[in-house]
Amino acid sequence: MSAAAATALSASCASCHACGFLARVPQSHGARCPRCQEALHARKPKSLERTWALVIAAAICYVPANVFPVMTVTSLGKAQSDTILSGVIYLLHHGMWPLALVVFIASVFVPLMKLVILVFLMVSLHRRSRWRPLERTRLYRITEAIGRWSMVDIYVVTILVALVKLGNLATIEARPGAVFFGAVVVLTMVAAESFDPRLIWDRCEARTP
Amino acid sequence: MSEQETERPAPRGVAEAVIETRTWPSLIWLIPVVAALLGAFVAWRAISERGPAITIHFATAEGLEAGKTKIRYKDVEVGLVEEIELARDLSGVAVHARMVREFEPHLTDQTRFWVVTARVAGGQVSGLGTLFSGAFIGVDPVSEGKASREFRGLDEAPIVTTDEPGRHFVLRSYTAGAFAMGTPVYYRKIRVGEVMSSELDPSGEFVAVGIFVHAPHDARVRTETRFWNASGFDIAMTAEGVSVDTESVASILIGGIAFDTPFGAAGEAAADEAVFPLYESREASERRVYTQKATWLLHFDQSVRGLVPGSPVEFRGIRIGQVRDVRLERDAGGRFRIPVIVEVEPERFGGAFTEGERRAGMERQVEQGLRAQLKRGNLLTGQLVVALDMHKNAPPAQIVWSEPYPEMPTIPTPLEEMTADLAAIVQKIDRMPLDEIGADLRDSMAAMSELTRQINQDVVPRLNDALVSADRTLASTNALVGADSPVNQELRRALVELTETARALGLAADQFEEEPESLIWGRK
Repeated sequence: MSAAAATALSASCASCHACGFLARVPQSHGARCPRCQEALHARKPKSLERTWALVIAAAICYVPANVFPVMTVTSLGKAQSDTILSGVIYLLHHGMWPLALVVFIASVFVPLMKLVILVFLMVSLHRRSRWRPLERTRLYRITEAIGRWSMVDIYVVTILVALVKLGNLATIEARPGAVFFGAVVVLTMVAAESFDPRLIWDRCEARTP
Repeated sequence: MSEQETERPAPRGVAEAVIETRTWPSLIWLIPVVAALLGAFVAWRAISERGPAITIHFATAEGLEAGKTKIRYKDVEVGLVEEIELARDLSGVAVHARMVREFEPHLTDQTRFWVVTARVAGGQVSGLGTLFSGAFIGVDPVSEGKASREFRGLDEAPIVTTDEPGRHFVLRSYTAGAFAMGTPVYYRKIRVGEVMSSELDPSGEFVAVGIFVHAPHDARVRTETRFWNASGFDIAMTAEGVSVDTESVASILIGGIAFDTPFGAAGEAAADEAVFPLYESREASERRVYTQKATWLLHFDQSVRGLVPGSPVEFRGIRIGQVRDVRLERDAGGRFRIPVIVEVEPERFGGAFTEGERRAGMERQVEQGLRAQLKRGNLLTGQLVVALDMHKNAPPAQIVWSEPYPEMPTIPTPLEEMTADLAAIVQKIDRMPLDEIGADLRDSMAAMSELTRQINQDVVPRLNDALVSADRTLASTNALVGADSPVNQELRRALVELTETARALGLAADQFEEEPESLIWGRK
């Protein structure tokens, strides 16, 4: 993509987040969409600050999510607590490596990659990097798209906990790890949401004109 | 409000807006703060709940699994096995476990650990739950003692845990018998305890059997209590007949110990770890109740078949002692005699006596007729008992205070007396003048034969004449009533007529029966 001739921002215009209506924004504060009354911002307000806060929160939660057990299976009086990683190892030991791979990617690798990508994008913005804006934008899109799939683990735990209530025979309980893991997924999704990819391009265009 | 970090449009001759720079960070930062606080709280709780790490040494790790096997106390999880490793010299395994924090004060050098698996012992089945859930490690916490983190695991679950109310006792026995751990202890056939251990005393002279009696039955163990081996069953064939004694079917199979306190000799409640002798049988335990024993020598002149060491000595049917020895001696005159040594327990007569009192008392009794006698205790088995009784008509006798045993006078058995009577009868028969009687008999016989001869000579010819005349009379009678004599013919005809009359009467009777009216109206 060649340098854009003009952006909405350079023309003091902004499009509505809700209805996409393009309007002139004389000042950056207190503007409203003339069509739908939605607040108008040229860029997502405080995008970087919010993203940072959420990413840091997610990173904090990521530790207990992996250290604490996600669920406890009690079967015939024998209780077993599993963390996400011990579950993956269990699957590997039992020869179900494709399943182990899926769980590992969805539950360990993806949340971690999301955090790493977001941190990378924000650091690049802070350094006003002009390096490969297109690839960085694509990276962001992938991050945003795959975020929700990490919730699969949480769904499995919730369904099992609700289904397996056989008293002494078998009982499954959710453990604190699941809460933290859910928090990681939700926080990274919100963080990706609050990140404004247009900022990548703003940096690139700052010196183009 | 802080400006967007992005570049803004260049102002063109317009006054600059006042830009408010807020020193406070945005509220969004509360999220990571909360996350950090939550994470810190959870981490703190996990660390604070982390109890002490302990090491238990077992002979084998059978049934144990790192990360899975639990340590349980009263079926509550109090720890988890984290790691199992072989001892360096391969003599066993070291099980590293982490206990919950609350258990820390109970980990002392007295605390015991063992692996709980399904087992059958002492007539009881336990730990069946482990068949499904897998083995776990049991713990018997003891709070008193030095804190410890290294333990030696027991090979088997202890029979009794420290918190079980009751008391321990030690029984000293010459043989261990069949006392394995868990062998039941009975009180009046009720199971009240178990054998805890059975080991050789340091001196090596006897076996110390450790038992545990559960509360409240431990109060039944008094200082005077007797313990005996109730293993299997006793079949005793005594003068009292055949008796079978057993505590329970279980004790026949796995052995057992029983105890009881002699009536009237309760004593005080026995202290914990008190030592008692273990008797071989109930009988043995009772025998020892009487410590004072008086030994007597009895001489019998009759057969003592059926009298053995242990045969009872009775006074009017009450057992007061037993036979200790039966011997055979030849006295100075070359006569055989049988000294029987008996033990009598004077305490059975009530109260204890001094030696002097006892001697005087016995002499008085013998003066009044106290005698020993052999009696048949049981007709079926032929056992004999030594019976002491008062015999008013007994010939006077005295106690011979000889050494080593004093001799008590005896009198013969009733059977023996009967034999003596029979002998007297035989003697009388013997004294009869049988020869004279024989001579008299011979004279009588001669007179008899003389008589017979006279009869032959005088009576028989006359008898012949009489017979001839009788024959004649019979012949004439025959002529009178012979087959073709007139009397006979007349008689026959009369009989024929009688028969015909009878037939006619019969016909008439039939007629009347069929037609009764013909009696009036005549035959139709």
